[in-house]
Amino acid sequence: MKRVIVACGSGVATSQTVASKVQKILNQNRIKANVEAVDIKSLDQYIPQSDVYIAITKGSKDYNIPTLNGIAFLTGMGMEEETNQLISLLT
Amino acid sequence: MDVLQNVFQYILDLGASVFVPLIMIIVGIAVRMKWKEAFSAGIILGVAFAGMGVVIGFMLDALTPAGQGLVERTGIELNIVDAGWTSLATLAWAWPLAFLMFPLQMGVNAILLVMNKTETLNVDLWNVWGKILTAVLVIGVTNSVALAFVIAAIQMVAELLIADVNQKHIEKVTGIPGVTVSHGMMIFGVFLLPFNWLLSKVPLFDRHIDANTLKEKFGVFAENHVMGFIIGVLLGIAAGYTVPETLTLAIQAAAALTLFPMVAKLFMQALSPLSDAISEFMKSRFKHRKLNIGLDWPILAGSNELWVAVIVWVPITLLYAIILPGNNVLPFAGIINISMAAPALIITGGNLLRMIILGIITTPVFLYIATGFAPTITQLAQDTEAIALDSGQMISWSTIEYPVFRYLFAHVGEGHLLGFLFVGIWAALFVLYFKTMKARKVEDDTAEETEYKENVM
Repeated sequence: MKRVIVACGSGVATSQTVASKVQKILNQNRIKANVEAVDIKSLDQYIPQSDVYIAITKGSKDYNIPTLNGIAFLTGMGMEEETNQLISLLT
Repeated sequence: MDVLQNVFQYILDLGASVFVPLIMIIVGIAVRMKWKEAFSAGIILGVAFAGMGVVIGFMLDALTPAGQGLVERTGIELNIVDAGWTSLATLAWAWPLAFLMFPLQMGVNAILLVMNKTETLNVDLWNVWGKILTAVLVIGVTNSVALAFVIAAIQMVAELLIADVNQKHIEKVTGIPGVTVSHGMMIFGVFLLPFNWLLSKVPLFDRHIDANTLKEKFGVFAENHVMGFIIGVLLGIAAGYTVPETLTLAIQAAAALTLFPMVAKLFMQALSPLSDAISEFMKSRFKHRKLNIGLDWPILAGSNELWVAVIVWVPITLLYAIILPGNNVLPFAGIINISMAAPALIITGGNLLRMIILGIITTPVFLYIATGFAPTITQLAQDTEAIALDSGQMISWSTIEYPVFRYLFAHVGEGHLLGFLFVGIWAALFVLYFKTMKARKVEDDTAEETEYKENVM
C-alpha cells in the first residue's frame, strides 16, 4: 500500500487535520493508501519510506518524492488541483 | 430538577475519558454527522484520553524519582514535572463545557467580520483548546465560569486582531499568500514588543546569521527521541544515578517524548470531522469576501530560524530552571519553546540573533508562570480525573503559551488593584503592537529588497 505523509511542527494538529481530510477524499475515490501525520522535525526519516509528501510549509529543501501543497487542503483554495494530482500519483 | 442534576453528576463522575466521548457523540449527531462516524469519533476521543493517561503516568513514574534524587543530592527542588502541551490539551478537553467554545469562537469571528473589525477568518478550530485552557485556568483561579467565557472571548478578539496585522509579515516569512496565524501563541508578541524595540536599537544585534546550515547540523537535537534521551541522561547524572539507571531513564524519557504526539493526534482524529464541518460552514458563509485564512502556527515551521532558536534555548531553559530562585518546574515534555519562537520570528522579521536574545531575556517569565500555575493545573488534573497523579506529584507546562496574558487575565478576576493596573499596561502594549505591526509593512519591504539585491550582487 502506498504511503502519503503530512508533516507539521508537532505531528499532532495541523498535519492530522490534513491527513484526516486527505484520507477521507481517498476513501471516497476508492483509492487505497495510508495517510499519516508526522513530525516535521523527523521528516528526513519518513521521506525514504513514503510515496508522496504533503507539505504545510515552503521549505528550502527539495525532497526526492513528489511534494504537494497542504495549505490548499486547509484553505480550500486550489484543493481540487492538489487532489487530482494526488490521485494521479497514487493510481 | 434533582434527578437531572443527579444524572449529570453521575455522568461527570465517570471521568473525562467517558463523558467527553459522550458529549462528542451527542454534538456529532446534533450537527448531522452519521451515527457511525459520530460513534467512532467519540470512541477515538476516549482512546485519546486513556492513551494520554498511560503516557503521562509512564513519564511521571520515570521522572519523579529522578527529581527526588536531584533534591536530595543538590537541594534544587524541581518537583513540578513539565508535562507539555499535549497533557494540557488533555486537561482542557476534559472540561465538561469545552465544546461550547466552538460556537463562541464562530460567533466572535462572525461578529467581527460583519462589523468589519477583522479581515481574518479563523478556520483552525482545533485550537479552541487554547481558549478552553485559558477558561479552565480562570476558573481554577477565580471559580467563575462566566468570567472564564468573557476572558476566552477577549482572547479570541486579540487573536484575530493580531492575525490581521501579522498577515503581511507572515506572508513574507512563509511565502504563502492570503494566510495568517490565528493561533493564540502570537499574543506573546505583545509582551516581546518593548524588548524587541530595545534590541533593535543595538546595531550589534542586527547581524545576519545563516540559519539553514545550523539547522542542517543541529536539527537532529530537536527530534523528540533525541531530545528526550539527552534530558534523561542529564537528569540521571544530576540525580546521582548509576550508569545503567541513567541509561534506562534516558530511554524512558525518549519514549515518553516520542509517544506523546503519537497519542495526542488521536484527539485531532476524533475532532477533525467536527472542526472540518465548522470551518466549511464558516468559509461558505463568507465566501464572497476576500479574507485572510487564519491557520495554526506550523505554516511557519519552514523557517529554519525557528528551529535553530528553539534548540539554542533548550540548554538555556535547563540552566535557568536550576539557577532561578523560586522556580520548581523541571522542563521536560514542553521544553521546545515554540510559544516563544513563533511570535519572536514574526516580531523580529526572522532576525535569528535577536530571536535568541529575546528568548534569553524572557525564558524566566515562562518558568515562573509555569511554577505559578502548577497548583491550579494539578488541581484541575485531580478534579477532572483526566490525568492520574499520586499525592505530592505536580504537573505544569514549562513553555505555556502566552503566559503573560493568561496569568494577568486569570488573576485580574481576584479583584486586586495591582491586577487591574497590569491588565491596563498589557492593553496599552496590545494597542502599541497593533499599530507598530500595521505600520511596519513598508519598512520591511524595503529592507528585504536591499537584502535581496545584496544577495544577487
